Amino acid sequence: MWLRTFNAFLVLAVLCAAYVLYSLEHSIRGVERQIVRTQGAITNEKETISLLNAEWSSLIRPERLQRLAEQHLSLKRISPEQFVKINELAARVPAEPPVKLEEDGKDAIGDILKAME
Amino acid sequence: MLLSLRKDGSLAGRNRLRLVTFGFVLFFTTISAQLGYLTLWQGRPDKPAAEYSERVPRPDIVDRNGVVLATDVSFFSLYADPRKILDVDEAVELLTATVPDLDAKTLRQKLSQPNRAFVYLKREVSPSERDAIHNLGLPGIGFRAETKRVYPMGRLAGHVLGYVDVDSKGIAGIEKFLDDQGALYTASLAEDNSRAMPAVLSIDIRVQHALADELAKGIAKFHAKAGGAIVLNIRSGEVLGLVSLPDFNPNQENKNFTFDQANRMTSGVFELGSVIKAVSFAMALDYGTADLTSHFDARAPLVIGRAVIHDFQPTRRILSLPEVFTNSSNIGTARMVLEVDPERHQAFLRRVGLMDRLVTELPENAKPILPKRWGRLVQATIAFGHGFAVQPLQGAQVVAGLINGGIMLPVTFLKRDAADAKPMGKRVIKAETSEKLRYLFRLNGLEGSARKANANAPGYRIGGKTGTAEKVVNGRYDKRKNLTVFTGAFPMEDPQYVVMVMMDEPQATPETFGFSTSGWNAVPTGGNIVARIAPLLGIEPVLTDDERKEIAKQQQKAQKEGRT
Repeated sequence: MWLRTFNAFLVLAVLCAAYVLYSLEHSIRGVERQIVRTQGAITNEKETISLLNAEWSSLIRPERLQRLAEQHLSLKRISPEQFVKINELAARVPAEPPVKLEEDGKDAIGDILKAME
Repeated sequence: MLLSLRKDGSLAGRNRLRLVTFGFVLFFTTISAQLGYLTLWQGRPDKPAAEYSERVPRPDIVDRNGVVLATDVSFFSLYADPRKILDVDEAVELLTATVPDLDAKTLRQKLSQPNRAFVYLKREVSPSERDAIHNLGLPGIGFRAETKRVYPMGRLAGHVLGYVDVDSKGIAGIEKFLDDQGALYTASLAEDNSRAMPAVLSIDIRVQHALADELAKGIAKFHAKAGGAIVLNIRSGEVLGLVSLPDFNPNQENKNFTFDQANRMTSGVFELGSVIKAVSFAMALDYGTADLTSHFDARAPLVIGRAVIHDFQPTRRILSLPEVFTNSSNIGTARMVLEVDPERHQAFLRRVGLMDRLVTELPENAKPILPKRWGRLVQATIAFGHGFAVQPLQGAQVVAGLINGGIMLPVTFLKRDAADAKPMGKRVIKAETSEKLRYLFRLNGLEGSARKANANAPGYRIGGKTGTAEKVVNGRYDKRKNLTVFTGAFPMEDPQYVVMVMMDEPQATPETFGFSTSGWNAVPTGGNIVARIAPLLGIEPVLTDDERKEIAKQQQKAQKEGRT
């Protein structure tokens, strides 16, 4: 009698083992597929990054920046007498600022920005 | 008790069963144990096989600050397999609807060829076009991933970067270097199989732009045919910028460039009077045949055999050695050099490498043109650079070595530390000689032919030597055609950078009072270059009172003319 229960137990054990192992295998396969997908996505992102790097480089090329600066900004080339050592700074700071930034409610920098738009 | 034996030694029926059961249980336990072990405890291999890529991709080229100068960009090409296309009309209709710039007639013709397996329809399709075409679901239409080399900076640094052919193989400039000797260098850059580290050049793209911009302005102002400029870091031998105009855009499809667009600074040789004169003075001072108090008779032209050596601006008096330098007197220089033995003279030129071809990472380099026989006349004319033609880059390398304390460093286009460069140096003159030469350079910048550089770049203590050579046309010297060169360095009390400017056939303008020598065109252009790049390179200006007054005067003038 005990043999029959033992038999049944063994069959059950095999079925359980099979279920556990195969479901593990299944989930692992799923994870592997996901790895491949993620790596594909990584490669795509890397491609995009290199493309954006190339585009960035093109946008910051000095010739373009010079052209835009000359067109839109009224900045001048820096002149050597504008360099001042820290210990000489006190002597060089002018009493009056050369450009009045805030004058009767006028906003000089804001005006420049508005003009650029 | 588990097993009972019968009297004849065989096993009872029930025992046989037990034995068999035991056997099966053992068998199955072993298998399940093994299965369990394999699935639960056996480690997985770390990287799945999908990582393998066929080739190491071409490394990017970046400038010393990491700005991308050359990179690969992936794009998709649309192709068709005409054998697999079921309905040509449908395909043509759908494709021309999604991609408007496909020509229906050529498309139909391409798709109708029954025997071809592969035909390109459009070389570069945008990602949105690709998705749209993919969604059409046409059989026989597919995409191929390809890479193209792009140079985001356009023409800038084109000569240094070079370009690649259709198969992404470098055929000029640093691109060629990466494929040739640079194979080991490239391999050292690859960290893993997916992406190689970029090749870092010594070029600073901001300096390169300032160089190209100012040189172009100078060439336009003096109506020169062509020109070139170099900036070298004296401490490390790195080339910060190299320009040769006219240049080219390495992005363009058609790479049939003209001879005129070649890199004049390395693949051309020129009579660099400014460089060779500096070398002559260095030699005389180093050998001790002359010193700063020596005097030379420049009252009359020097006659050697049937040849006569003139000064361009005759001084008609006896000159001290510094005066010979600042007046650029050919007669004085010739007399100074004739006091040296011809063998020792040649030995010095060989020591500074001027007798050999300069080889750098750029594959384009030219051999110097040397005189064949070294008689007294040749020795005298060589002194001021006549009949002796070298690459401009080579000249810059020599001058850098002469004024940095006497140790010549090999120039390089790859980023290099000053500390790494030191062991590569070769002593060419004594430290005291180098100091004397620096003094002469600075004197020339204050009082001599290099004055205008300091006028345009006050505060940066420029020194240098000028040279104006007649060009050789059809085997003879042409008086009307000049090649002007300025080789300068700054700041002269402790030189950090060499700037060399060369102009091919600059003309006189009303502002130059009819003169077209180096001091009137190459020198002021060099000054403009220094004024622009010195702040970028971190050189602090030190203004004298006179310079401050001059600047204030200029600013008042500009204000009055309404230019502020």
